[in-house]
Amino acid sequence: MRNNSKSNLKKQQRGSLARKEAQLAGILITPTILIVFGLILFPAFFSIWVSFHDVSLRNLNDVFNAPFVGFDNYVRVFNDFAFKYQGAESWGAAVTSIVYSFASTILTMIIGLIASLLLNQKFRLRGLARSIFLAPYVAPIVSVAFVWRWILDPRPSGVLNDILMRLGLIDLPKAYLATRGLALLLMIIFQAWRYFPFAMLMILARLQAVDGTLYEAAEVDGANTWQKFLHITIPELRYVLGAIFLLRLIWTFNKFDDIYLLTNGGFGTNVLPVLTYQFSFKLFNFGVGAAAAMILLVVLAIFMAFYIGIVMKKIED
Amino acid sequence: MNTERLTIIEHLMRWLNLKRLIFAIVLSFFLISVVFPFYWMVSSSFKSYAEIGGRQAVYIPSALRLDAYGELFDPNNPAFQDFLANIINTIKVAVPTSLIAVFLSILGSYAIARLHFRGKNLLLNGVLLVYLFPGVLLIIPLFAMLARIGDAVGFNIQDNLAVLVLTYLAQTLPVALYMLTNYFRTIPDEIEQAALIDGCSRFQVMWRITLPLAVPALVSVGIYTFMIAWNEFLYAMVFLNDHNLFTMPLKISTIFNDPDPRPHVVMAASTIMTIPIILLFLLMERYLEEGLTAGGVKG
Repeated sequence: MRNNSKSNLKKQQRGSLARKEAQLAGILITPTILIVFGLILFPAFFSIWVSFHDVSLRNLNDVFNAPFVGFDNYVRVFNDFAFKYQGAESWGAAVTSIVYSFASTILTMIIGLIASLLLNQKFRLRGLARSIFLAPYVAPIVSVAFVWRWILDPRPSGVLNDILMRLGLIDLPKAYLATRGLALLLMIIFQAWRYFPFAMLMILARLQAVDGTLYEAAEVDGANTWQKFLHITIPELRYVLGAIFLLRLIWTFNKFDDIYLLTNGGFGTNVLPVLTYQFSFKLFNFGVGAAAAMILLVVLAIFMAFYIGIVMKKIED
Repeated sequence: MNTERLTIIEHLMRWLNLKRLIFAIVLSFFLISVVFPFYWMVSSSFKSYAEIGGRQAVYIPSALRLDAYGELFDPNNPAFQDFLANIINTIKVAVPTSLIAVFLSILGSYAIARLHFRGKNLLLNGVLLVYLFPGVLLIIPLFAMLARIGDAVGFNIQDNLAVLVLTYLAQTLPVALYMLTNYFRTIPDEIEQAALIDGCSRFQVMWRITLPLAVPALVSVGIYTFMIAWNEFLYAMVFLNDHNLFTMPLKISTIFNDPDPRPHVVMAASTIMTIPIILLFLLMERYLEEGLTAGGVKG
């Protein structure tokens, strides 16, 4: 009976290749769909739900019956001293996140652009230099973060202290990552150091596709190197620069590991992802944590709408 | 004598025009900034406790001392860390993540690239959304959800490496799917169509034609997912409490935060964690570079 219906089914399928394909596609794609929907899309929407409910360690095993609290979690985030701007001395995570992300992104792009212009020159061992340049981006974040902490170590054996003292620039060892302002600046420099290879590779690919006759024509017209850069290279790169800016801004804004590992979010470097973690897994208030994450997402969406609506449009004109 | 010196200087001057000078300075600056932290990591790992905590920084260790490595691996060392267990834990998480992600993304990407079905675009866009989602956003609902499910089915979500693999799949599968789909689309459909007409089944076509052609992409997806799992910190920190199950990143962080700071041990552990990744990358650079700009390393 079963065999019969199976062979019937097969006959029908032969008649309709499209249906057979759809069935096969169904089989192939099911595990992926289960994971993508179950572990990404559903949790993403579930976190909106969590942000409106009182979820903590106490009722975690009965999370679907958590009491609805409206916007209470959001109000708590907005009133939290770690979140809100309280003057130039204490920026709060919202403002710090924005400053940190924009500054890191711009610096990463500038360094990446310079690196790509370097590697676009012909010189011996260029391939080796290119491989070496990729190291900060490829190496594990935990390793490089702790190397930086060790280089910036407040003790006299910290190498930056040692160098600056030998040069006579400072008299006593400094605690760089425990100094407000300086810590944030160092985080931005760290971001540029670690992520410039991403910008470099993307720009380099585009540079190598630029039509060489453009430069020759400009030379005939008497343009110098700077003019060629300004009037040929930059316009040719505008799309790729736009794409890098958007991607890096999003990823830097979302980034948790780098700041958590380097400063633990202390000394004026607390950003929204770290704050979200602290609410959820230090205070174990998942509702407030989810609300902070939603705020992060909304800010991100505003950036993107603004960027795609205005900046990209301008580039196209 | 005098004339010879002049010609050398002249020669140097001719070679050292302004453009070259700037180029050399900028290139050196880049090389030093990139290489120095790595030099400092490896060289510090060979220093003694006295060299690490002295009144001055030691630039070249006096000898290749294995004090730090002894602390990591030698059971007779008073401060034995059993780092081997952490390496094994990391491999236990990274290898299954990589293999399962490659296997599932082969199936999924093939379906997306070659077959027609409803909801395909929704799925692809859903996958791309992951690029925009912060990891911290997903970890809260995942933790709550898995805790609830684990409670109902009867497994512990904390200190369970299998759960960690599952959450890593959620992070790596979208990237794998995206990269492989793009690659499958570059393989001409005509070859497969011809094989289908010759009577091969879809699975035979996949196994004998598409996959052999896609080996470079499979290698690069496998390595990227492996690297993501190897390096992952946040999810491991949230899901693991038991020190015996710690992966390398957690262990390194634990040693670093020890009240008695021993940076040489941290650097030794970091060196061990970094070398396989750098080697893997250098050996496979040809396959991997394209993936870097395609977001293989998200972040």
